[in-house]
Amino acid sequence: MTAATAAAGAVQLLGCVAVAPLLPGTVQHLKARLQGRPGPSPLQPYRELRRLWRKSGVAPQPRTVIYELAPATVAGTLLIAALLVPIGGHAPDWGIGHDALVLVGLLALGRFAIALAAWDTGGAFGLIGAARDLTFAVPVEAVLLLVVVVLALPSGSTDLLALSALATTAEAWSEPAHWAAALAFGIVVLAELGRQPVDNPDTHLELTMVHEGPLLEYAGRDLAYLQWAVAARHWILLVLATELFVPRPEPFLAQVATLAGALPTWCVVLAVVETTQAKMRVLRVPVLIGTGAAICLLALISWHVRGGA
Amino acid sequence: MSAWTVVCLAGTAALACGSALAPIGGRWRAALAIQATGIAALGVVGGAALFGAAPVGAQFRSGLSPALGIDRLSGFFVLMLAVTAVPAALHAREAMRDTPHAAAIASLGGAFCLALVGLVAARDATTFLAFWELMTLLPATIILVARHDERARRDVLAYLAITHLGGIGVWVTMLVLADHGALGGDPLQSDGLRALVVVAALLGFGTKAGVMPLHSWLPRAHPLAPAHVSALMSGVMVKLALYGLIRVLLEWAAPMPRWVGPALLGVGALSAVGGVLYALFQRELKRLLAFSSIENVGIVVLGLGAALTFESIGEPRWSAIAFAAALLHMLNHAVLKALLFLCAGSFAGAVGGLELDRLGGPLRRMPWTGGTFAIGAAGLAGLAPLSGFASEWMTLQALVHLSVHGPSGVALAAAAATAALAATAALAVLCFAKVIGLVLLGSPRRSECARARETAVSMRAPLVVLAGICVVLGLVPGLLVPTLAQLGPGEVQLARRPGLDLPGSGGLPALALAVGLVVVIGGLWRAGAARRAEPTPAWACGQRVVPALAWTSAGFTKPLRLMTQALLRPRRQVTVRSDGGVIQEVAHDAEVPHLFDSLIYEPVTAGALRGAAVVRRLQSGSLRAYLVYLLGLLLLALALVRLGLLA
Repeated sequence: MTAATAAAGAVQLLGCVAVAPLLPGTVQHLKARLQGRPGPSPLQPYRELRRLWRKSGVAPQPRTVIYELAPATVAGTLLIAALLVPIGGHAPDWGIGHDALVLVGLLALGRFAIALAAWDTGGAFGLIGAARDLTFAVPVEAVLLLVVVVLALPSGSTDLLALSALATTAEAWSEPAHWAAALAFGIVVLAELGRQPVDNPDTHLELTMVHEGPLLEYAGRDLAYLQWAVAARHWILLVLATELFVPRPEPFLAQVATLAGALPTWCVVLAVVETTQAKMRVLRVPVLIGTGAAICLLALISWHVRGGA
Repeated sequence: MSAWTVVCLAGTAALACGSALAPIGGRWRAALAIQATGIAALGVVGGAALFGAAPVGAQFRSGLSPALGIDRLSGFFVLMLAVTAVPAALHAREAMRDTPHAAAIASLGGAFCLALVGLVAARDATTFLAFWELMTLLPATIILVARHDERARRDVLAYLAITHLGGIGVWVTMLVLADHGALGGDPLQSDGLRALVVVAALLGFGTKAGVMPLHSWLPRAHPLAPAHVSALMSGVMVKLALYGLIRVLLEWAAPMPRWVGPALLGVGALSAVGGVLYALFQRELKRLLAFSSIENVGIVVLGLGAALTFESIGEPRWSAIAFAAALLHMLNHAVLKALLFLCAGSFAGAVGGLELDRLGGPLRRMPWTGGTFAIGAAGLAGLAPLSGFASEWMTLQALVHLSVHGPSGVALAAAAATAALAATAALAVLCFAKVIGLVLLGSPRRSECARARETAVSMRAPLVVLAGICVVLGLVPGLLVPTLAQLGPGEVQLARRPGLDLPGSGGLPALALAVGLVVVIGGLWRAGAARRAEPTPAWACGQRVVPALAWTSAGFTKPLRLMTQALLRPRRQVTVRSDGGVIQEVAHDAEVPHLFDSLIYEPVTAGALRGAAVVRRLQSGSLRAYLVYLLGLLLLALALVRLGLLA
């Protein structure tokens, strides 16, 4: 293992556990500033996690062990998923490979666990949110796979390390297919992170919630896991966006510096999108995500028209 | 005579004895045990053949004299039958205690297994077709013995009518192949003949496999049978139709024309998405499981289509991988579907009906049955690290690489199929989250559910074994995959290691992934298990939580129903009865009609009946009319002879 690989492993773990809460915190802070409010500090998620960790959990009736396992499952799948994502084109071999489709499978496992927890307590709000979340996942997974197909065109591999290595040079952007994949991936990120216009992370109005719905029945450490999971999902997808799409110089330190610069940039982009876009009607969301599928198919066509360069 | 032949004959004899003895003297439970022993022996032979022992019995031949034998591919299917049928028979020993006509059902069930074994062991066209017909007729007989209501009789009629019409394709295929000596002999010479065989095989075997749009019989017939027979029908019978398809497409009529692979991709994508979409909107557990079988057949067909396409573009290695993915998914689905049908049988015995909105709560009352059911459902939803994930991951990898390596047309088709399979996987997660939620979790929705008792150990043990197989297949799929890949067209060697390590992928080290998940989730769970407050009801805006607030199947699938309503055209009727401005009663009635029935099958049936009515006028019963027909026919024949058209 080289020093770069070991450092990448350290960033994977430390970033996912410790830096991740900073991302939604920064987005909330920037959003408030854009809207002319002072807003919470970017460090607010850490304070909430600390507060929740000290509080006791709740015990809704009826429940089974599924309710108790779900927060740990969601957090655990995301922690494992974070280990699949390379940092600066490097990643240590944790023994679980670095396959893009495995990452998609792990995200699905987390969704499944929280949906079962919603069924377990039988609360209507949790089930509204879970039903919407799993329904949106249908077009999201289809588009995500199409993005993988388009990105795999030059290298012929679904290995995240190989895909990340290809994106380092600016040459990748000379292909229209790469642009299209970036656009489609952006749509997927919005949906998967529960950001506007797909979902409103600020709302606690029960009837409009998607991701927040199943969290209502939780408190204490369970809720801390689930809130950390939201932050970890931000980390995974934004790091992935950097690794797959941002051209950067070859040396490892420069790559990490690019990552450190890109993450705040993505936060600014998310804050601007959230400020300018209203939340969509629930039924319009699949149309938005479906647009991503159409974009990917166009990308594939353009690749073949250009002779599969 | 080799040792394996002896074991094989002994197993067949035990199965036949178990089947014949069942009706005698009320000892059907002992007979079922004998049957299970026989099938297990046959499964051992099948496993030996699969893993490289010399083939047992005869080779394929095109003659008419009967011949039986087991080679590697047949061995795989016999093994699959044994893995499914042994637990099914053992489960049935307890589950059918109070069933009327249990002895007859046990006997016919044994005969059904015999027919399934016979089909994969058939080595000539006559035997194949004989067992093919038995495989269709025996489950129909079992359903008619078990059920007497009119609806069951109508559905059995539809089953027999559709599968027999489709069966014509199988007859045409087998007879044409035997006629041209293509069974284990010379390849077909003419391209026209090959196209005929392929189309006939796709129609014939496709109908029996339940491929959309030829599937209409499957969701009618499968839920009617007793649980262990449903398990065999969904788990094994539809796979044997795919066995026939594999033999024809990859062996007897090979090499395939170029259009066959993409055609299979299209049909497979339709079946996968359509099957799971309709499964989502079912209200009865066994009917839902039947639709889910269509979905999984679709996934297998996608794998086969990818294998054929890879072969035609000259990628034998990927062709073998896609083929192995299809076989692995067949095995996974056989195990999982048998598990779920047997669990459904246990639930039906414990609480009566299986209407999804009227169950709830058995995970606490029946932890073993409920737990195994949850494992099976999660496996069918294709979740890591259970077995469904491994085979779906392999199929997805094959499709992704087909869209990367293929020429432009193929690449677009494969990309569309990739998206369809990804959507199918997400829909299956939605579907089985709903199933687990409605069947196992929440408060009991009926008094019977609140009183449900765990079943006897002898009934739980088969479920635990099946769930264990599902877990093991998910953890070490890579130990089986190289063997399966060798059965494919290219005879490709893959490295044998526990995980899956395909070229051009990041690999799926399933065992490490599972260990990582268990360790991390377990650690987080332990760390998070702090004190909890006193139990309180779930939050319902401060209202008392009453059963009327419980969520239903229709509620959970509503976002999807709204999203797909342009396609599925759901029907919804709300009647409000108000008295003096005060609403007294709201009646809500909704269903998602099966459009294949109303748009394809009903017009065809109506047309056939109208045609029959017209033809029936010819048969007037009057002697004079018949004499006129005779005269007309004679004149026609004479005219033809005169013109030289008839020798």
